[in-house]
Amino acid sequence: MLDKRSLLRGSIGAGVAGMAALASVKPSEAAGDSGPIPVGAALPMSGLSAADGIEFKNGLELAASEINAAGGVLGRKIEIHVEDTKDMGADVVSQSMQRLVDRYSVPVIINGYNVGTNMVEMDVAADNDIIMMHANTLISHNEKFKTNPERFYGSFQMDPPEFYYGPGCLSFLNDLIKDGKWKPANKKIAIIPSSVEYAVVIANAMRNQAQKYGFEVSLFETVGFPTSQWGPTLAKLRQDPPAAILVTHFLPQDLAQFMLQFTPQPTQSLIYMQYGPSLPAFRQIGGQAVNGVIYSTVIGCLPDDFSADFRKSYREKFGPGAAYITGSQTYDALWKWALSAAIAGGAGKPFDKDQAKKVSHAIKQLVYRGVSGVQRVDPDGQSAYCYPTQVSDPSLGMPHQFLQHQDYKSDPKLIAPALYATDKFVLPPWIK
Amino acid sequence: MTMSSTPTLMARHRAPYGDLAMALLVIASLVAIPYVVESRYLLGQVILALFYATIASQWNLLFGFAGVFSLAQMAIFGFGGYATAMLCVYFGWNIWPALPVGAVAAVVFSLLIGLACLRLAGVYVALLTLAIAQALYLLIVTDTECFRMVGSACRQFTGGAVGFARFGDFGTRALFRAKWLVGNYAIVSVLFGFTMLCTYGIVKSPIGLAFRALKDNPGYAVARGVNRFQSQLLVFGVSAFFTGLAGGFYAAHFQAISPGILSLSQLLFIIAATVVGGIGTFWGPLVGTVVLMVADEAMRETGEYRTLGLGLIITAAIILMPNGLIGRLGDVVGWARKRFAAKAPSLSATQ
Repeated sequence: MLDKRSLLRGSIGAGVAGMAALASVKPSEAAGDSGPIPVGAALPMSGLSAADGIEFKNGLELAASEINAAGGVLGRKIEIHVEDTKDMGADVVSQSMQRLVDRYSVPVIINGYNVGTNMVEMDVAADNDIIMMHANTLISHNEKFKTNPERFYGSFQMDPPEFYYGPGCLSFLNDLIKDGKWKPANKKIAIIPSSVEYAVVIANAMRNQAQKYGFEVSLFETVGFPTSQWGPTLAKLRQDPPAAILVTHFLPQDLAQFMLQFTPQPTQSLIYMQYGPSLPAFRQIGGQAVNGVIYSTVIGCLPDDFSADFRKSYREKFGPGAAYITGSQTYDALWKWALSAAIAGGAGKPFDKDQAKKVSHAIKQLVYRGVSGVQRVDPDGQSAYCYPTQVSDPSLGMPHQFLQHQDYKSDPKLIAPALYATDKFVLPPWIK
Repeated sequence: MTMSSTPTLMARHRAPYGDLAMALLVIASLVAIPYVVESRYLLGQVILALFYATIASQWNLLFGFAGVFSLAQMAIFGFGGYATAMLCVYFGWNIWPALPVGAVAAVVFSLLIGLACLRLAGVYVALLTLAIAQALYLLIVTDTECFRMVGSACRQFTGGAVGFARFGDFGTRALFRAKWLVGNYAIVSVLFGFTMLCTYGIVKSPIGLAFRALKDNPGYAVARGVNRFQSQLLVFGVSAFFTGLAGGFYAAHFQAISPGILSLSQLLFIIAATVVGGIGTFWGPLVGTVVLMVADEAMRETGEYRTLGLGLIITAAIILMPNGLIGRLGDVVGWARKRFAAKAPSLSATQ
């Protein structure tokens, strides 16, 4: 017997344009309780952040292959499904995530980072009762979580928020002075963010806390995103040379350009940059000019014995130029989710709130030592704890790593925190 | 003169059966979609398409009907969204009263742009409006001064690079719970329908004829007493009202608005949709939006070829159908009418 819905489906649906698209978003057969577990990822596979998107996908694939080889999650294999978030933004990212839920019935979505989303990902996770893990590195995640912990129970930021870069960086500079490794001519700092949330929040945290750490902000200049013409900014820096230049913009190609334009006429300043120098593109473009640059990251593969197998497998599988420091973020996240789902007795599926809550609880309880360090959830904001700025026990927080490019032909050296450091800080070649 | 004006007059006085049929089809589709489409994702895409079609219809009113080549459409859309969000954030307004006020703010913004650039013509209008849109974008993203604290995070007056979020919604989540998206769909559909109805009324009214006259033959229109500046300022304002209103609805639907909405790629999509559908045709922007969004969806699995495919579709549409899909449809209907008219006397002669 025909009901209203089937009648409409038959008579009008056939004529509606886009039926091909409709067919493509039907839930897959694999969504049952015995087949593979579909795991979603909404990643920037094209556009400005495509290089990172590819590494995030690589990290997921490597983790999935290892987990599957070990028997899967309670006997079920993991199957990765990726949606391209292109140039990102709230509308594209939320729609990409919803497509993963609708088409593949994913009980979990593990993203790397997406820019300009206003943390709309948390709403998609809440509306569908799924787990969502990401490395957006934003204090907005914590703030949004606090507004309604009951609703956003399934959203986890796998690393500490960007806010901790500010005090962490200033504390690091003071440690260099205290240890006699760096003797600045003055206590001026120049802060150069680009116009994206991540860069602005870090820059503001630096500016707001500069005085507390004994620094004076001599220049605070916001540049466009992306940007490669650094002439006007460099002219201001050369006019009033600061002790340290803190660039919170994070695209590797732009930061390499900064160094190429800075080194012909350098100032006696330490240069600290954000995230971008961790990617191979930075030293490939910058060459010798990047030697001496310091950068930090609150998440990324540690160059220690524990991660040696991961680094080897990653480069064997994805090529010698592959950036395991980026891929490690989703790699650790998938491992932690898989363990938590197994502890909770299953991955669940969309709209299965009870099971999603069990998995969420396991994620919160499990202190996981991954290749990026310790991932332990701060219950106040459901982000990872930051060591040493937030917690003093290294076994309970993800290390805020400071690295330095000392030879552009090889990987950067980890110089802080002391417990993890593999090498010592050296003065950049332009500082006499 | 008589020869050429007769068909025009006939066309003007012909009953708008085509428009009526199309309107019925659109209404039927809009009503049917929530019953047919179960996927939240697809419903979300339909909502996005309705937003794009609304913006494109207003850009079409401005350029396609009135001949004003403005590139500030997304800036006005964003302005409406920002004004709505800021009223909620700073004055604690409910989203519903904030929406029309946000739209009026967009009109004021648009009239200021109009006053600045409508003394110019053609490409100079395009350049100035684009410059204003880019200036707005840069003013927002380079705003890093701390205006208020949200928890431990510092927020700027304009929202800066972050924008605004969680300032209010339509209330559908509380009302319909799991079916909230259908509620939002209904609201956005009403907005779209209202916009299209008003736009149709304007296009078919005497002022709509004045807009078209100014586009087709400005010298002749001015000689017949049409005030170019006032008319174009009016179309700027009208178009901005609906565009700004859509911006407010967009912000309320996504519960977020950020400077990304002012990006050039969004503007180019709106222009492409109008071009593919047919510039200067009433249904063109809607048809163009649907075609491009369906094509984009169909090519989703093709990876990097997706963008290339969309580019090819737009290029093919421009080369093969310079008047767009609706223009081509009009050609086909016209050709059929002529064939029918040519056959009719011979048929009667035979009889």
